[in-house]
Amino acid sequence: MISIRHLSKTFTNPDGGTISPLKDVNCDIEKGEVISIIGPSGTGKSTLLRAINMLEPPTAGQIIVDGKDVTAGQYPLDKLRMKMGMVFQSFNLFEHKTVLENVIYAPMELLKRSRKEAEEEALELLGKVGMAQKADVYPSSLSGGQKQRVAIARSLAMHPEVILFDEPTSALDPTMVGEVLSVIRRLAKEGMTMLIVTHEMRFARDVSTRIFFMNEGIIYEDGTPEQIFEHPARSATKAFVNRIQKLVYEIDSNAFDFLQIHTGINRFCFKYNFPEKSALAYDIVKEMLFEHLKDLRPLTLRFTHAELSGVTALDFMAEGLTESPLPGGSALDGIRAKVKGIVEEPTSRGFRIKVLL
Amino acid sequence: MYKFKPTLLHLLAGVAIVLGSAACSQKAALTVELKSEEDLSGLTLSTSAGNYYDTKYSGREDIRLFRVNTEADGIQAVRQGLADVHVTDEVVFSKSARERLGIKMAFRGEESFDVAFAVRKGNQALLEEMNRFIEASKADGSLDSLISHWLNGTPAPAMPSTGEASPQEPLRGITAINMEPICFLGEGGEWRGMDADLLRRFAIWSGRSFEMSFMDLGSGIIALNTGQCDVVNACLYITEERQKSVDFTIPYYLCRGGYFVLDKGASSGMGLWDRLKMNFVTEGRWKLIVNGLLETLKITLFSILLGTLLGMGVCAMLRSRRRWVSKAANLYGAFIQGIPTLVLLLIMFYVVFANAGMGGSLVAIITFALCFAWSSGSIFDSAISSVPVGQTEAGLSLGFTPLRTFTGIVFPQALTKGLPLFTGECVALLKSTSIVGYIAIMDLTRASDLIRSRTFDAFVPLLIVTVAYFVLAWLLRLLLNLLLLKK
Repeated sequence: MISIRHLSKTFTNPDGGTISPLKDVNCDIEKGEVISIIGPSGTGKSTLLRAINMLEPPTAGQIIVDGKDVTAGQYPLDKLRMKMGMVFQSFNLFEHKTVLENVIYAPMELLKRSRKEAEEEALELLGKVGMAQKADVYPSSLSGGQKQRVAIARSLAMHPEVILFDEPTSALDPTMVGEVLSVIRRLAKEGMTMLIVTHEMRFARDVSTRIFFMNEGIIYEDGTPEQIFEHPARSATKAFVNRIQKLVYEIDSNAFDFLQIHTGINRFCFKYNFPEKSALAYDIVKEMLFEHLKDLRPLTLRFTHAELSGVTALDFMAEGLTESPLPGGSALDGIRAKVKGIVEEPTSRGFRIKVLL
Repeated sequence: MYKFKPTLLHLLAGVAIVLGSAACSQKAALTVELKSEEDLSGLTLSTSAGNYYDTKYSGREDIRLFRVNTEADGIQAVRQGLADVHVTDEVVFSKSARERLGIKMAFRGEESFDVAFAVRKGNQALLEEMNRFIEASKADGSLDSLISHWLNGTPAPAMPSTGEASPQEPLRGITAINMEPICFLGEGGEWRGMDADLLRRFAIWSGRSFEMSFMDLGSGIIALNTGQCDVVNACLYITEERQKSVDFTIPYYLCRGGYFVLDKGASSGMGLWDRLKMNFVTEGRWKLIVNGLLETLKITLFSILLGTLLGMGVCAMLRSRRRWVSKAANLYGAFIQGIPTLVLLLIMFYVVFANAGMGGSLVAIITFALCFAWSSGSIFDSAISSVPVGQTEAGLSLGFTPLRTFTGIVFPQALTKGLPLFTGECVALLKSTSIVGYIAIMDLTRASDLIRSRTFDAFVPLLIVTVAYFVLAWLLRLLLNLLLLKK
């Protein structure tokens, strides 16, 4: 359906320097595929997506859609884009139109649907994304997650052959990521062809039929979710998929901002999709900082999460100590009963108490 | 968002403020009796800028000069205590005008002067023709009886017979005086008085049509030298200095100066109702206001139309991806913003379109349109820029062409954001058209100037135009909101 050959894109900065997010991209996309594009930031994932519907015309190479090269120049771009829906990171709903008008505008103007026809279908689509009751409000009164769901409905209303998702959840509050991802999951089940640029590793693994790992301006590794996440062939892929997310607080005195730590832990749990652990993590941090380790300053708190394996840990590093600050080991029994394990060990930096959630 | 809606109450409040401030403006009068020019020492003397008395007294350290644009302003200055004495030609204020204004002539000047018309330097044909006419009028006594008619009310001499020559170009006169009995705008908007009568008789005699407009002397001389008019009259004394820049006809009148002061014995003036009547009803003066209003409206609306069209071009240039194009637009903006509109208007009238034979109104419309092009263009530009680029991308990605994305998605949002600014700019334009009087256009402000210089009442004509501008601005706002805010 879409074939990409030797695609490259070079931007020229105002100061004359150049930057090439896409160097040499080659791939074939078939109907029905759900492809997640993952990779470190700045490796051209969004640029590739925007090049496919010619919002960002490539510098060189070909994009062949249904047998025709769309980069050739004579290709009618409006017709191309009618075949390809796009969902943006920043939603881009039309602010001067209501939710319903956002959805019916393009079908009425471009597909020449009657208002009645278009409205009926729009309400059906809005129902599908759970937004039917908001049909008559303006986008400014919607939350980010609601806006994104409307944007998906707006894109579906044009009956595209493929939908391009450009980091659809990156601008969302962590609590709203789930509602948008579940809508995309549902589209995947219905067999919609989709290209999704995302940072949600678990989502990518669950929903995709194929994964593109992009690095250094090329598709560095291309395979099924199992290949990419379980048996990556290349070391950069392995490092990326096994990367660990962390949240670090350095506590120098008792005058630290506990509220900030609380909020941070909460957001972290939602962002990486394990909100169920947030209450537990909060309780443990509170107990450790205010009871067992309350005289130990400076102290470094690290909250880590390995996205793929799902291993979550709280590290309490008592700086400079070589022996346990809690001799006897019975002090932590209350915590030990609630978690998967506690590791206490001296390190070159200090004494570490690691709580595995 | 709070919107200011002018109501009748606001209007009345405004009028009350103006009335109140006018009532407090009368100042104490001069206590010494003036007998001759020697008594002027230590006093403030008002006179028209650039006339003979300006030159005569500007070297005197013991006399403070208060330079005004018209004789009416000078009298107003004396009445308000800004000046002690107003000096001008003795014939300028008729007996009835003196009584109404509460002024009297303290003494006559010692020198006497030849008064003549000024024509463009080098316009030998007209000069000789006019000289022949004045000679002839002197010879047959018609000049004397004409002067006597206007000064003393004796019967007017018979009109001269129609010209010797075949039809010619019209005679375009500019008067720097609007004052009975020299030259004044009479009933039905016709120029009357000694000078106007003499010039009209000359026009008939030489087979021309005659038109006349009103300007201050400085602008009148520029208009003369740039060919916008043929003859200037202002009870002009023949001086050597003036002869360097214009040619004078042979003198037709011998004039002496008059030193006017406040007449304490005179009654304190008229009631507001009588003043309104004098300024608005007498001699059909309301027609001047109405015509001025139409002229102001015409210039404003056409400038907005043309300026908005040009503004779209400016906006397109500002948004051009080619650097030099947007640079050129910015340069244009710097140019327009850096020059006072009045100066630009004078340059356009006296330099750029000096020989194009266009009417003043057209020149004014072009000038204001050029200014408005920048202000509206930059408003359009910033309004469009304020619509996030994501809106364009969303439109394109749905399959709209770039043009339809702009017209259907970006433009409606830009309109909502830019409209209040645009409306404000239109009202500002309306107000800035009040300077067109400088190029002899009879707009609303100029109409009030003319009435003011005839009635010597500064307050009522200004009040009338204040209300007129206020209402016009209000209507303009209403009109624009009606036109542009509908879905």
